[in-house]
Amino acid sequence: MNAIRLQIPAHADYIDMVRICLFGIATKMNFSYEDIEDMKVAVSEACNNAVIHGAKDVASEVIDISFESDTTGLTIKVKNSGSVISIPNALDKAAPLPDVEVSGLRVGGLGIYLMQALMDEVDVKTTEDGTEVCLTKFLSATKEYS
Amino acid sequence: MKAEQFQIEHEETNSQHILHIIGELDLSVVPQLRSALEPVINRTDKTLVLNLKNLKYIDSTGIGIIVSVLKLRDELKAPFYVREIPPAIKRLFDLTGISRYLTEGTEAQA
Repeated sequence: MNAIRLQIPAHADYIDMVRICLFGIATKMNFSYEDIEDMKVAVSEACNNAVIHGAKDVASEVIDISFESDTTGLTIKVKNSGSVISIPNALDKAAPLPDVEVSGLRVGGLGIYLMQALMDEVDVKTTEDGTEVCLTKFLSATKEYS
Repeated sequence: MKAEQFQIEHEETNSQHILHIIGELDLSVVPQLRSALEPVINRTDKTLVLNLKNLKYIDSTGIGIIVSVLKLRDELKAPFYVREIPPAIKRLFDLTGISRYLTEGTEAQA
């Protein structure tokens, strides 16, 4: 499996660079426009989490992104060092907005749901030194209903 | 390489405050959008409109802001419309379930 690696400062201003890089790689792999748009959002959500929940006191905090492709598809790994994100629990609870009155809506909490809805596989590994979110999109795969 | 710098254009008519959201709405421009909304979000005398015609990208951070605007305008009993939603953006609105809360308004005024 070939890997292309990108490291960005853990700051919102650099997340667009991840999308630009993803766009290039996914385009070269012949992913459809819709699949690329889906991946852009999912990968940004993973980066958003890393920026928002990562350690803020460390100025040198970074996010490591690894794009790993093979003939079946593309896996994007988003890893942040520092504080641990409690995504594993959130994965089970992620849901779209409930059908309730506007006043009962929560703001936020849609990011993890979107990752799951837009990718074929979402996996979160929590280690001692950080959290790694693995997002996989298969080439011309028929979307599985989860 | 970024095609279009994120920007917000404020248009005021007799009955509406229209914010044209242009470019990529992601986490990095959340403060910019919040400060653009701040002077108009509480104005109950005029309809608040977000025009998304030239919006190229949105994710949960942008959708979260729209949810918070929806809630506040609902509380104020003040009209709020989201107009000219591009198909790719509409798909995310449908997925997250925010679509059912959005009134598109009349296209002629958009």
